[in-house]
Amino acid sequence: MRTSPWIPAFYLGPAVLIMVAACLYPVLSAFQLGFFDWSMGTPWSDARWVGLDSFVSALSDPRVWSSLWTTLQFAAVSVSVEMVAGIALALALERPVRGTAFFRTLFILPMMIAPIAVGLAWRYLFDAQFGLVNAVLGLFGIAARGWLADPTLAFAAIVVADIWQWTPFVFIMMVAALANVDAAVIEASRIDGAKWWQMTFMVKLPMVMHVIAITLMMRLIDAFRVLEVIYVLTFGGPGDSTEILALHIYKTAFVGQQLGAAAAISVLLLVVVVALSWGALRLSNPLKNDR
Amino acid sequence: MKRRDFVKSSAMTVFGAGLPVHGALAQSRYARYAGQTVTFSIPAHPHYDAMLKILPEFTKETGIKVDVDKLAMGRMKEKQLLEMAKSQGDYDLVSYVVMWKGEYVAKNLIHPLERFFRNSALADPAYDLKDIIPIYLENLGMVGGPKGYLAGPGAQLYGLPYGAETSVLAYRRDIFAKHNLQPPGNYDDFAKLLRVLKDKEGIGALASRGQAGHQCVHAWLLHLNPLGGSIFDEEWKVRFNDQAGVKALKFLQEVVATGPAGIPAYGQGESNTAFLQGQAAMYLDSTSLAGLVNDPSKSRIAGKVSWALHPMGTRRASQSGGLGLAIPKNAKNADAGFLLMQWLTSKAQDKACARAGGTPVRNSTMLDAELVRQYPEFITFREALKYSNPDWRPIIPVWDKINVQALGVGISEALTGRKTAEAALNDLVGPVTQIMREANYKV
Repeated sequence: MRTSPWIPAFYLGPAVLIMVAACLYPVLSAFQLGFFDWSMGTPWSDARWVGLDSFVSALSDPRVWSSLWTTLQFAAVSVSVEMVAGIALALALERPVRGTAFFRTLFILPMMIAPIAVGLAWRYLFDAQFGLVNAVLGLFGIAARGWLADPTLAFAAIVVADIWQWTPFVFIMMVAALANVDAAVIEASRIDGAKWWQMTFMVKLPMVMHVIAITLMMRLIDAFRVLEVIYVLTFGGPGDSTEILALHIYKTAFVGQQLGAAAAISVLLLVVVVALSWGALRLSNPLKNDR
Repeated sequence: MKRRDFVKSSAMTVFGAGLPVHGALAQSRYARYAGQTVTFSIPAHPHYDAMLKILPEFTKETGIKVDVDKLAMGRMKEKQLLEMAKSQGDYDLVSYVVMWKGEYVAKNLIHPLERFFRNSALADPAYDLKDIIPIYLENLGMVGGPKGYLAGPGAQLYGLPYGAETSVLAYRRDIFAKHNLQPPGNYDDFAKLLRVLKDKEGIGALASRGQAGHQCVHAWLLHLNPLGGSIFDEEWKVRFNDQAGVKALKFLQEVVATGPAGIPAYGQGESNTAFLQGQAAMYLDSTSLAGLVNDPSKSRIAGKVSWALHPMGTRRASQSGGLGLAIPKNAKNADAGFLLMQWLTSKAQDKACARAGGTPVRNSTMLDAELVRQYPEFITFREALKYSNPDWRPIIPVWDKINVQALGVGISEALTGRKTAEAALNDLVGPVTQIMREANYKV
């Protein structure tokens, strides 16, 4: 039976419309805002057309580039560790062993907590005077450190908080992916005499590479958007050592009241995230093979 | 005309012309608004925690309900701006940080209060505006005038202080007695004492804020003012990198070196906690701490604290700042919002709030014998208010940007040792001047 060409459009239409409204509209609005000088609390009719000025000043502002560099470092370190730790945990708990359900639940708990609460929790944990981290280090005779008061340690602190919260996401994605690996292939490799590491790195992981690529892309995007945890934990300090681009945009928009400039920097952030996502999908694009 | 005279005269103008004389009107003042709901934006702040204890009484007395929207101070402004930008907002009364008043007025978001005080159906004849501490009224309420944010020709009253504060020195009486020390009267003694306390007692000498952004700038301003410095000169040209500015920043670096560990990450909450939990021997900051010191659920140093004036540098100049109340122009129930504002800042409720641990805004409360018995520190606070500098920081509309995005980064870098005090301040001259130029100041 021949299907009418209108049928796919009928089924896909509503979803496409929602996607356009929910995704494309804000992006286009951000672009539009970038061309205006507008301050929150004033009527939009008061907004002043500034053309490309905001984009030019964003690109020539050294604070934007230093924030971008901090963001890249943050994303590289935290996402790398999350991917490795999440995959390792998923492999460890892949087979049903005693307490698997308990550990799986335990590992995904951090992901469920609101980012503001995560920021507050880690702020207290890293507190120089009363924090648990220094208390534990003290048991081993290590002197208390001002974790959030030192640029290097503060950067480490935001990375640790992100790893703690988001490794479970990688874990859960990988557990689901590994559960769908064809048992016959694993059995065949075992019969062929593959060792554990060969089975893991040459059979299992290549078979779930699509999921790894998608997970990596999602984590990269999230790492570039993270705001609340760092806002609460360090507010970008000391100095601007932990001021990632999302926080810089926030400060430009809500402290500096330069909505247009903030929108222009957001476009820069979008370009970087698109480039990185493209890179991640080059690793393994599930859509490509499904054609 | 002197500034104080101007405040007096504006109070007289506001009240003299519109003072309601019929006591009977007071009885029916609330009747018309009973059943309305005032939506009130407040911060998470000790003074407003005390206010929440007395708030149910307002509804009982007036029949006006109150919905409180309590937010972290850092998140309050963006929510208020979004609400006040709508044609009709959800807020009928907002608490604002002193630094926001200029911006709110410049954007035409809040009502001048004169029209409410002139309305005999709303204004309480027993409300005594002159009794409100003049320095608080000027600092938090007045917008306009030659500088834009202080009293003077053209200034109008846009808000009332509520949660206002000045700076005082709190110190551990037990530790000072143990080492036979005296509270510092001037900055030379203060500087020496930091090292002495650290060496002798082994705990932090002075609790201080230090987190990047507003917090570290606030800490620096606390020392900049008494040491004779300021951010701008009379022509709005940058002068914060002069000798006084550098001396204040070096002093703050010494505070970090001798204070409890981690000051460069401390906000006001952490600084309070360090002192209240016995990790520092002194505290130089807001009077809002007073309500917490003797609360055993929050303090380990109850009964061990004495108070002194902010030490003197080249001059006495304690802080002026804190929080005020204003009525958004797009409020649905603006009159009911005014009634709540008037009730909260009335003589009776100012005392009730102080009893609950809040900071008073009225002279009559500070002089109340019963309250002075409860809070003997009020005697010191009254004295400190004589030296409170209403021009403690330039509350121009772009101050928030200068504060957080420029000074707040450079000073933080000096506190972590990434830059010297001189280099940090000199490097800030360009960015701050640029922000001023963008705001159309001819500098």
